[in-house]
Amino acid sequence: MHDKYEIVIGLEIHVQLKTKSKAFCGDDTSFGSEPNTQVSVISLGHPGTLPVPNKQHIESAVKLGLALGCTINKENRFDRKNYFYADLPKGYQITQDEQPICLGGGIVIKVENKEKYIKLTRIHMEEDAGKSIHDVSPKYSMIDLNRAGVPLLEIVSDPDLRSADEAYAYIGEIRRMVRWLDISDGNMEEGSLRCDCNISVRLKGTTKLGTRCEIKNVNSLRNAKRAIEYEANRQITILEAGGEIEQQTRSYDADKDNTDTILRDKEDAHDYRYFPEPDMPPVVLTETYIETLQKNLPKLPAAFFELLTLEHQLSEYDAKILTDDLETANFYLTLSKQTQNKKAAANLIINRIKSYLNENSLTLKDFNLGFDKMAAFIKMIDTGQVSSAIAYQRIFPVLVENPSKAPVQIAEELGLIQNADVDFLSQIVDEVLASYPDKVTIYKKGKKGLIGFFMGEVMKKSKGKAEPKSTNKLLREKLDA
Amino acid sequence: MKKFQSLTEIQSALANRQLSMVDLVQYYLSNIETTKHLNAYVEIYEAAALDHAKQLDAKYKDNPETVGRLFGMVISIKDVLCYKGHQVTAASKILEGFTSLFTATAIQRLLDEDAIIIGRVNCDQFAMGSTNENSVYGPVLNPIDNTKVPGGSSGGSAVSVKSDTCLASIGTDTGGSVRQPAAFCDLVGIKPTYGRVSRYGLLAYASSFDQIGVLSHTVRDAALILEVMAGEDEMDSTSSQKPVESYSTSLQFERKAKIAYFDTALEHEGIHPEIKSTLSTLIQQLEGNEHEVQKVSFEYLDYIIPAYYVLTTAEASSNLSRYDGVRFGYRNKAAKTLEEVYRYSRTEGFSPEVKRRIMLGTFVLSSGYYDAYYTKAQKARQLIQQKTLEILQDFDYILMPISPTPPWNLGENADDPVAMYLSDIFTVQANMVGIPAVSLPLGYHSNGLPIGVQFMANRFEEASLFAFSEYIFNNYCS
Repeated sequence: MHDKYEIVIGLEIHVQLKTKSKAFCGDDTSFGSEPNTQVSVISLGHPGTLPVPNKQHIESAVKLGLALGCTINKENRFDRKNYFYADLPKGYQITQDEQPICLGGGIVIKVENKEKYIKLTRIHMEEDAGKSIHDVSPKYSMIDLNRAGVPLLEIVSDPDLRSADEAYAYIGEIRRMVRWLDISDGNMEEGSLRCDCNISVRLKGTTKLGTRCEIKNVNSLRNAKRAIEYEANRQITILEAGGEIEQQTRSYDADKDNTDTILRDKEDAHDYRYFPEPDMPPVVLTETYIETLQKNLPKLPAAFFELLTLEHQLSEYDAKILTDDLETANFYLTLSKQTQNKKAAANLIINRIKSYLNENSLTLKDFNLGFDKMAAFIKMIDTGQVSSAIAYQRIFPVLVENPSKAPVQIAEELGLIQNADVDFLSQIVDEVLASYPDKVTIYKKGKKGLIGFFMGEVMKKSKGKAEPKSTNKLLREKLDA
Repeated sequence: MKKFQSLTEIQSALANRQLSMVDLVQYYLSNIETTKHLNAYVEIYEAAALDHAKQLDAKYKDNPETVGRLFGMVISIKDVLCYKGHQVTAASKILEGFTSLFTATAIQRLLDEDAIIIGRVNCDQFAMGSTNENSVYGPVLNPIDNTKVPGGSSGGSAVSVKSDTCLASIGTDTGGSVRQPAAFCDLVGIKPTYGRVSRYGLLAYASSFDQIGVLSHTVRDAALILEVMAGEDEMDSTSSQKPVESYSTSLQFERKAKIAYFDTALEHEGIHPEIKSTLSTLIQQLEGNEHEVQKVSFEYLDYIIPAYYVLTTAEASSNLSRYDGVRFGYRNKAAKTLEEVYRYSRTEGFSPEVKRRIMLGTFVLSSGYYDAYYTKAQKARQLIQQKTLEILQDFDYILMPISPTPPWNLGENADDPVAMYLSDIFTVQANMVGIPAVSLPLGYHSNGLPIGVQFMANRFEEASLFAFSEYIFNNYCS
């Protein structure tokens, strides 16, 4: 029955920015401090205090807007959204209502190998509220105002998403972009990226949107997917039973995996009484300011991906991993400029450096091996001096500990340089063939697969130094003679 | 001790060693004591002021060159201005016992120039009112006639200066709250250009209208104090970056002025005949001295009050949301839930007039009414701004009454808020437009109560406005 229905999803993503200070005052913004230690008279909303705009907040918004192809609003006004809550010290949230800083734009997602462009409605700047903690005391709610006033960007998509998988991909793309631009940690578990999902369903082929429900408290990518799936099923079940959907705000419960908690009915909807924030004049952005930010934008993921797949001929799989974040992408780009073998550069990063960093809980920033050494490492394999297996397993660990040494020098010191000398190889091959006359007979009768066995024996005997190509050739010559 | 009327007199007495700051502060303190019935002060900083005076005397004795420009200036501050370590309550129960953790930028600048703060003075609750009757501390009496109101909302400020308990007072003006009490108490009052003085540390009533101003006996003192307080402040993004001129040293006025006045103002149906005739006489005298005075039509005068009350109450309804009983100030102890904390604390904490304005503001911002009220009022504000600034392109100053009537009896308008709102008709225009305006003590009613005259000038034309005011004060005020 579900095949009759189409799911329509629009997402509101709140991104907490990595600015040094809060949106409208100088308080520190780092995550995880003792409750109520990152506050001041301004973030506490004391009488007589005033907000002052944060340049980094505006800059982050413009950067994201430019990266997502939005129109940047030059005259920016802040508005007040009025409501009472214990974690909202001023009794209003400073946000942007009628003139958001970015309009339009969009982002490409890929689901089941198909690309789709998801349009954005808007991006606007606002401040975060504090945190209410209800599960510490049975009697009281606890309020932590460290988060009060932390700068946010709210990214609102059009209702363009049609499945939980698309929503999953979309959130992933937005997260990659905010990390790429280095404006947010984009960490859903820590709350630096939060997502409200607007979901409705309708019969396929119809154009009118169904009544939507908003799902809050979705705090991981996986939960977003599960919440959407649950909510869509819930709505379809109601419609199939002849019921109607009520417009509601509901909460996702990750433990129970359902959206059955109703936070607000339509009738309880707040009247936020938005009006222009009179404590701050409009922030006017000049053409030059926007152009400068545009010029200084890093190469974006899509452009990187194209470069890697089309020019560097890498697989889409490799290209995707290398463009997961800007640091990796730039790391690859630098390395690829020093070697002709792009594929080997990609392999080295994906299969060796990444796992080394993971094992040691390091990041690329901590990786201090010179690009010239990495290029020499690749060349050493390409020229057959060392097998790639040996290089990865034996030489790489020594090299990172001794970053000033040349890879070849390490290979020599460890005695791992491969030998392609025919006399050297012939001697070992002859010894191996002499040791296994039975197998040689079987091979000659047609069981050519035994070549692997002989190769292995030669390798063993040569302690890995036998150069594989030449050894293989020599073995075949002798066996097939 | 002789009654001092200006800082110049005090500074010369200090220089001649006829006076010490301790003498002066003691003199003011004793006057505060004898005028207690006026109810101007809500807190007297007796010990601190005397200590401060001692320090300044020592500093001056040590080297007279080291004292600040306001050495000798003893001031009172309105109970809406933050002063670190001191209470600030906006004359409201909702801020009962609240101590500010920081000092308002304007106040800090005065302290930095060696002014002494002698106390915190009464006002209308959250600066909402024109009589100083709307205060949790009770009404303030007019020192000229104790049955009359002193004006408001900076009533305590005006009375503290008029009753010789300090030399000047720092008030705030959202729609006339400095100028009208100055006029009711026979003083000089200035409301500067919006953005001229930082609002950081001023408890907001209506953010886009509020400005800190001065009440004093002389134009020069007002000019000096304003020039010390004014100027950019990184804590207030609406404060102007324009450099501050030296108002107090450029008070000479030797040219012929071009002055406009509105037919709709002087011929307004509500205006008291004695006020009309006093102002008409002034106009004739100015013309007699070859100043150009012209009647100009201004058809928006009657739209000013409705637009003003829609916009200020809208802003106030939001500005006062932070007084919720949660983090500071008054909280009803019986409240059990968050909603009860809000409901009971705010019901008991705010005065009826404040609640009326919060409700009005909440109404005009609510969905379905926003466009009809808030948007329309904003359009009216833009029109009034545009038209007023046009007039100020052709004229140096606009002459206006301050109040349509003389100071009225205590309790007289208490049950008629609309009549009270209408009394602001001549003063709110300067706040709507954001231009500077002064109130000067022009003359007297037949019953001895003072009559003020108002002059407005173009944005940031304080220097010119002060010079002209000094000229009017010296030549036309009785």
